Amino acid sequence: MTIIHNRPLDDIAETAPTIAGNAFTRAFSGGSLWRLIGMLVLILILGFLTIYPLAMLLYGSLHSTPPGMAGEFNLNGYRSIMTTQNLIVLANTIGISLAKTIPSLTIAVFLAWIVARTDTPFRGTLEVLITLPFFIPPILTAMAWGMLANPQVGVINMVWRWLTGGTDPLVNIYSYGGVIWHMCQYSIPFLFLFMVDAFRAMDPSLEESSRMCGASRWTTFRKITLLLMLPVLTSSFMLSFIKGIETFESALFFGLPAGIKVITTDIYESINHRATPDYQYATSLSFAIMGLMFLLVIWQWWMLRGKSFQTVTGKGFRPSVMELGPWRWVTFAFCVLFFFITVVLPIGQLMLGSFFRFFGFYTYDMLTLEHYRAVFANSEFWRAVRNTMVLGLLGATATMALGAVVAYISVRTRWRGRNLIDSMAWLPWMMPGMVLGVGFLWAFAMLPGPIPIYGTIWALLLAYIALGTPVSVRVMTGAYHQLSYDLEECSRVHGATWAQTMWRIMVALAWPAFAVGWVLTFFGIMRELSASILLYSVGSETLAVVLMKLWANGNAEQVSVIGLMMMLLVIVFRWVQLSFIKARISKL
Amino acid sequence: MTTNTSMTSFIQKTSAIQKWSRRFFMAAAGSLAISAAAGLPAFAQDAEWQKVVEAGKKEGKLILYTALVGQPSTKQIAAAFTKEYGIEVEILEARASEIRERVRVEQAAGRFAADVMFTSEGQTMLYDKEDKSVDPLPATPNSQKIGDKFKLKVPMASVMTIPYGIMINTGLVKPADEPKSWKDIADPKWQGKILSDDPRAIGAGYLWFFSTYDKIGEDYVKKVASQKLVFTRDQRESQRRTARGEYSIYMPVIMTDFSDLKGLPVKFIIPEEGVPYVLYGNVMLKKAPHPNAAKLYLDFMQGPVVQKIYAGLGYGPVLPGMTDGLPADVKAISEAKLYGTTDTTRQNEMLAKSKDIFK
Repeated sequence: MTIIHNRPLDDIAETAPTIAGNAFTRAFSGGSLWRLIGMLVLILILGFLTIYPLAMLLYGSLHSTPPGMAGEFNLNGYRSIMTTQNLIVLANTIGISLAKTIPSLTIAVFLAWIVARTDTPFRGTLEVLITLPFFIPPILTAMAWGMLANPQVGVINMVWRWLTGGTDPLVNIYSYGGVIWHMCQYSIPFLFLFMVDAFRAMDPSLEESSRMCGASRWTTFRKITLLLMLPVLTSSFMLSFIKGIETFESALFFGLPAGIKVITTDIYESINHRATPDYQYATSLSFAIMGLMFLLVIWQWWMLRGKSFQTVTGKGFRPSVMELGPWRWVTFAFCVLFFFITVVLPIGQLMLGSFFRFFGFYTYDMLTLEHYRAVFANSEFWRAVRNTMVLGLLGATATMALGAVVAYISVRTRWRGRNLIDSMAWLPWMMPGMVLGVGFLWAFAMLPGPIPIYGTIWALLLAYIALGTPVSVRVMTGAYHQLSYDLEECSRVHGATWAQTMWRIMVALAWPAFAVGWVLTFFGIMRELSASILLYSVGSETLAVVLMKLWANGNAEQVSVIGLMMMLLVIVFRWVQLSFIKARISKL
Repeated sequence: MTTNTSMTSFIQKTSAIQKWSRRFFMAAAGSLAISAAAGLPAFAQDAEWQKVVEAGKKEGKLILYTALVGQPSTKQIAAAFTKEYGIEVEILEARASEIRERVRVEQAAGRFAADVMFTSEGQTMLYDKEDKSVDPLPATPNSQKIGDKFKLKVPMASVMTIPYGIMINTGLVKPADEPKSWKDIADPKWQGKILSDDPRAIGAGYLWFFSTYDKIGEDYVKKVASQKLVFTRDQRESQRRTARGEYSIYMPVIMTDFSDLKGLPVKFIIPEEGVPYVLYGNVMLKKAPHPNAAKLYLDFMQGPVVQKIYAGLGYGPVLPGMTDGLPADVKAISEAKLYGTTDTTRQNEMLAKSKDIFK
């Protein structure tokens, strides 16, 4: 048994006009004008959020000067990126990104399976704990790993030398391995969060049938579990791979000393460390990369075409877990090991350091609460917390709502233009953050005077929605792929209105995915700096801006205090969310 | 949002006043020059300046952009300014390239939001020559009093210099071995033991490269390059790494950070040749919404109150006689001999050279 071909999408649409269609389509049946208008509005919104800033960047890449300055159109930007050196750097970047995406995805799948599909002990607690590093600003984990694994005096190497009596270091974080490891620290929890609910929502009867037909546990995992997860897995792979190409903190921090170059450090340098920022070069390079990445999206469409991945159907759904017997202690040990290496080690450093005057100098007389006091007494910090909370709550909710609508239309209807909105929603993910930030700056500043966006908190909100849309659409796409059409039809047959159907089926059943997407988006907003620093105005500082200022002034310990508080918030959010999910599942 | 709409409408409303006030100021500056030339009594100038003071107070607000990120002194100075003139200061901070692009695009879109930019001499040249986003400097009472070498060709009212030197880990470097000069860095005994800010990109490392290349020579720089320097781009984190014992030497270090690291096993060394430096100052942005408040601020930053604040932190003041009575360690840094700085017009050439030498 491979993929269920029982009700391909085409089939539904062909029969739709006469019998059923889905709830959404029918709501607008006979009113295709409304559908057209709705679609147009959606395209306009997405256009403003994604195409408009990108168009400004495209202008920048084709014009000798940035918007608003006299100059001429030319292809110098694109010409200047065509060098052998860039090709080598590109190959290097792709290599690094693959080297981090493949193990990350493997580990994340394994962890998601353990947490969602097995009876591993304490999996509920583990689910919250193993994702924590994702929510810590990268600069902090980089610092922590710098302290743990530098070849000279890193804690790990000191312990290693003490144990073995040798002089050679065990690990060196300032290397390819270090860059990849630091990236994995973010991609594993991200991918785990992204996938875990898809694993949870899967009907175990499919796996059981496979087992009954004599397939081994491994074959079942491979042929049923993984294949059913194809939409989620391909989306995960792409999100992670593309992000890997665009991340630059790890490469800047750990790669620079080792002479490792990636595309984004080159872009970063062309904007921040040249005599004058070379926006034409930076944007041209970004567009070239974007073009390459779009091939991936096309590849995904081709992979998923005409197939159905419904696992949540109208039939009895019993989300049971696999009993592993004594093996469950092995899976448990794996999770604990993972937790120890990726969470306890770095975050332990940050926590410990926050109580001492300086990181790494843990003597009695250095013990202090001054960093906590300084943060709590900082009025700018509290103002930033307020701003960030408002932006996060509004932004994450709006982003997820937009993402849900786009995902619904692209997965569950056959409306004209659905591929267009789906690809529009991908765009912001493919542009390196610091370049896209400049795009938003140009776009919002250049709006006609009476449109009060630039210099207000709305500029930040709109930028955050645009930046979050790719993830929200992917999360919701994955969830909608799993819901059977029968559910909608069944609801309608039983006399529910369109709105009731939408609420009960499309919202209620996809709720766990929505919640995860919301948390991802919320914390994405909390961490976003590239666009924030270019769009914030006096009084609308965000937490990331305040963190950047503190970091720039050498207050690493205060930055850690704030980082730890952010993490506490994550624990609360996740705990509430998971309690809700559990309550829901037990009701089903 | 409300602040912005009120701001834009304010800008629209004041554009007429602004034109007038600019004309007024041109006249004022002109008459100032004439009166100075004619040796008229000082009270005539005072009267003109008094008008600026009144107008500035009436404006009541100043929007300051600064490229010096995260410095507590910025707020301290703003508070002192508010206390002096009753003018509120709103501060927007971002790194040099980010804030410059903001100003450029704001002005291109007709949004003249900021009054004053606090930035470096090198950046000012770009604001002036490339973006044409700054106004000529007004003559203010204090602008005449600063040291001659800080009266610049570019339209920047100099405020202070940031000095760069050498930092060592005292646990790893014995007192007898301490490097005393930039030349000592080239001693082969430091091979593999130096953490250095990346000289191949605009920043502190490049500043060191520029000044020593010019003053000591290419051979010296090449010798240092053969020391297997390890590069970084994070000033503050690098200081900590050195303090924790990863490297014996970190260079070039911002000398004024010494007070933040008290208690750590590190020592800040003023090289015998002197300290490479970055000169910081204020520029008047075009069509500033509060032009008179801006002039007052420019003047205030060159006056004794602010000059003493900066000298007390170890920065080099531009007004003479500001270091009296400072603790010896701060005084030494604040008065350290200025060695050299970068020249924006030669940047492409020198960056290429640095990339060639430090592959």
